[in-house]
Amino acid sequence: MEYRLSFALLAGMMFVNNLLWLFFWSLFFNRFPVVNGWELRDVMMLWAVGAGGFGWASVLFGNFHRIAAIVSSGQLDVYLSQPKPVLLGVLASRMSVTAAGDLLFGLAIYAWVGDRSLAGACAFALGLLISGLLFMGVMLIAGCLAFYLGNSEGIASQVFNSFVSLTTYPADIFRGMARIALFSIVPAGFISYLPIGLLRDFDPAFAAGALAMAVGSCLAGAWLFGRGLKRYGSGNAIAMRS
Amino acid sequence: MTGWRFVLRAASGRKAEAVARLTVQQQLAYKTDFLLRSSFLLLILFVFVQLWTAAYGGDSAKVISGFTMKEIIWYLVFTESLTMAAPPLTAKVEEEVKSGDIAVRLIRPMSYLGYHYSAFLSEAAFRCAVHLLVGSAVAWSFVGAPDFGFGWPGFMALSLGALTVAFLLNASVALCAFWVEETAGLQFVLQKLQFTIGGMLLPVDLMPGWLQRVCAWLPFQAALYLPARAAVHYDGAMLLRFAAVQIGWIAVLGALVAFMYRRGVRKLYVNGG
Repeated sequence: MEYRLSFALLAGMMFVNNLLWLFFWSLFFNRFPVVNGWELRDVMMLWAVGAGGFGWASVLFGNFHRIAAIVSSGQLDVYLSQPKPVLLGVLASRMSVTAAGDLLFGLAIYAWVGDRSLAGACAFALGLLISGLLFMGVMLIAGCLAFYLGNSEGIASQVFNSFVSLTTYPADIFRGMARIALFSIVPAGFISYLPIGLLRDFDPAFAAGALAMAVGSCLAGAWLFGRGLKRYGSGNAIAMRS
Repeated sequence: MTGWRFVLRAASGRKAEAVARLTVQQQLAYKTDFLLRSSFLLLILFVFVQLWTAAYGGDSAKVISGFTMKEIIWYLVFTESLTMAAPPLTAKVEEEVKSGDIAVRLIRPMSYLGYHYSAFLSEAAFRCAVHLLVGSAVAWSFVGAPDFGFGWPGFMALSLGALTVAFLLNASVALCAFWVEETAGLQFVLQKLQFTIGGMLLPVDLMPGWLQRVCAWLPFQAALYLPARAAVHYDGAMLLRFAAVQIGWIAVLGALVAFMYRRGVRKLYVNGG
């Protein structure tokens, strides 16, 4: 917090950025009030749970979407010389300032249109947990490709952009194979269906499935990272972390 | 004097052409990056097809604010192609200011803004052409062939003005790097303004009346809405009106950018090197 103004500006801009997306959705729902069962409030909660989940994950574990860059540039050497566990060290050694704006945005939107009862708050907290873990798990798996493919920064960044984009559109606009893919290969549906399956019409089977997918993807990512470490050859980069 | 001016102008044109040629060659060198970017466009357009199909209830004959579902999807192909074509000018200028590389750029025998404009325009035109090919493949397979008559030439005619307005908008944010350390946040906001009131995600015609009146007084629609609208709803008189709007904004934004540059470069100090 040494640079308070810079922090406020960066976090504030991200807050405004998300708000402008909601402005688009408000225009869209002004023209089409109900789309496949979704209303403006549901999309607002989708952004609250998505941005909020991404926010806490990036504030606490800011390197989760930079694994590919760290591995392929040889920066992992620095972490190998530090106390174990390596993965935790890598993830927690960076905090995203802009993501603080995402987290605040999520909480503000929840306070604005969310269910503020105890049950509603618990469901929202669970939604944030699932969303954050899923973002981390998916990006960890994509980032670990760098252990096997070498420079996979481009692919990891594409996975990141695509996954984030897919989590910001209502899950129910997708039909057929696209919907199946959204709940399997690209598990973005477990975030984009949270406003309905967890927050509006609680579906225990969906909630349990989403939690299992979130935890499972993190465990799979951690396992892949461990396996990848055994293959890792030093980047031979003589550098110090500033 | 007139002769000298002509020689100078011809030399400056040749320099701009050389920068444009180098930029396109640079783009061709990074084919993987290009393919990845195009695949992202495929995904985004696929999502939009799903969204608008749901909004129209799958009814291809339904007309909302003058747009059928097919026209909306093709409209989005044009706006997305232009949006994703714009190179990251803000990040480039910010990096040049932070690293001090701007000192080298300023002593080169070519205008700093002119250099960036040539690079921006050539890269954006090249990317836009590729994006149109990719986007057309998606739209064609989901909603059918484009049958917009003179819409394509209409789009081409307004694209140069659209990319110039986009450059000037981005340059006005990029030049803030002379005063503030980080311009990424401002760039985010500019981008989202183009997405929303610029008409990238939603044609301005589908917005509430009060917002349409506000948008008419802002430069954002000159970069996206006007060329895309001219493509799907071509009309000769409208094309001329749209071109006049673009020229007006180019004059206003051009003056603003030139003013910012003159003020900014005067307070610039580069240490070391």
